[in-house]
Amino acid sequence: MSAVSIDKVSRTFPGVRGGQPTHALTPVSVDIRENDFVTILGPSGCGKSTLLRIVAGLDEPSGGKVVVRGREVTGPGADRGMVFQSYTLFPWLTVAENIEFGLREKGMTKSAREAIVADYIGKVGLKGFERHWPKQLSGGMQQRVAIARALANDPAILLLDEPFGALDNQTRGLMQELLLEIWEADQKTVLFVTHDIEEAIFLGSRCLVMSARPGRIKADVTIPLPHPRHYRMKAEPDFLELKVKLTEEIREEAKKAA
Amino acid sequence: MDQPSPSSARPAYLRPLRPVSAPMRVGLGILFFLIFIAGWSVVTFGGLVSPLFLASPVRMVEEGWSLLTEYGFLYDIGITIWRVVGGFVLAALVAVPLGVAMGAWKAVEAFFEPFVSFARYLPASAFIPLLILWAGIGETQKLLVIFIGSVFQIILMVAVAVGQTRRDLVEAAYTLGATDRGIVRRVLIPSAAPQIAEILRLVLGWAWTYVIVAELIGSSSGIGHMIVDSQALLNTGQIIFGIIVIGLIGLISDFLFKEANRRLFPWSLA
Repeated sequence: MSAVSIDKVSRTFPGVRGGQPTHALTPVSVDIRENDFVTILGPSGCGKSTLLRIVAGLDEPSGGKVVVRGREVTGPGADRGMVFQSYTLFPWLTVAENIEFGLREKGMTKSAREAIVADYIGKVGLKGFERHWPKQLSGGMQQRVAIARALANDPAILLLDEPFGALDNQTRGLMQELLLEIWEADQKTVLFVTHDIEEAIFLGSRCLVMSARPGRIKADVTIPLPHPRHYRMKAEPDFLELKVKLTEEIREEAKKAA
Repeated sequence: MDQPSPSSARPAYLRPLRPVSAPMRVGLGILFFLIFIAGWSVVTFGGLVSPLFLASPVRMVEEGWSLLTEYGFLYDIGITIWRVVGGFVLAALVAVPLGVAMGAWKAVEAFFEPFVSFARYLPASAFIPLLILWAGIGETQKLLVIFIGSVFQIILMVAVAVGQTRRDLVEAAYTLGATDRGIVRRVLIPSAAPQIAEILRLVLGWAWTYVIVAELIGSSSGIGHMIVDSQALLNTGQIIFGIIVIGLIGLISDFLFKEANRRLFPWSLA
């Protein structure tokens, strides 16, 4: 059984003031295996975020359905953790309280929560920042907490919507390595949306290239690069070959969208 | 050679939006009070205005002292504070939960919003004659004036504050498994709490206007009552003293509210 099965999912936004409706997604079907790291690559406005939001249950498909571990998605839930591009830590909670938000909602005891929080604080390298307010953290640190917060809930799948899009290049590289490290150690089904080709290759074990609007899956590329991956890999011939290939695919689409 | 920078050529306080030093800020604030009192002294001591219409600052202080020591003015102050706080707390107890419910559930908002928006424009002071008919001239009537004057304002502003909660925070909470109740309790309320406290601070200031109006009409105690009595005696010194006392109490309550907010919501300032 696949972890996530996206079955002929389409999305049409009604036209504004009698205008033409927008077809964001033409029927998309894809199966995602357990513990696979799948990146969705596409030009801006191609509907990749819409697809992710439908999987999260934050948006409803106009047609088709999403099934996660055998259960059809009808709304958002703790089994699908999400990290957003915008900074969505709760500003009134400390770092530790943010990470335990979902655990409290589950009704977990204090001692159990504390153990999990300490574990994830360590994994994202924020020891000593437990009692800081989100405002006191840099953008990269905030996104690390957001990742920890989503993972602490132990979701069936982790959804990431351009989580490093607002970060500077250096920080983004470091965040990619951190996320990979966690994935290599813990194994998790991940769906990662990005418009950055290098990021899509470096992180993914499989990359779905989406076409310009109306979005559909244009290419389904396996990334056979070995793990653990190191940032130096970005300069190796295998990597560059994939980059050229995906750049070709996405260039055509970007031209249509531009 | 050092080129003189443009900022050193002209004083910094002439530049728009440039902050001034703390001593300068405090000093300027005090300076205006001094100028104000000086102007007041000039027109009163200089005989530009008859003492019948405007008492001099010295006379005002003398009258104030006799009010406090001989006429039991402290009791009036206490009564007035009690009325404001009582009516205001009652209004807040009704308005904050209702405002939160309106902000959170659009059906509740659709149900109450048109009426509350209408009621907000009913002047509280115009209700005083009616309230005297209903509740007499006792404490109930005073509390009701303040209640009516405050409750609709708080409801509407709280509803807006709660309704403006960042949608991405709500979505994040949903993906963390929050229930609808959890969203209200753990996202909407804490997110709007600093704004709600700020709304209460603002409306408490307005409540002071209503209490004085209520005391001017049909009352036998309170600062407003003293002011009416003094008018009958043409004692402008007492009237001005009463007005200044109200201003001072407002200043103190404002300060206390700000300090409480700072302690309650450190995250919004960090």
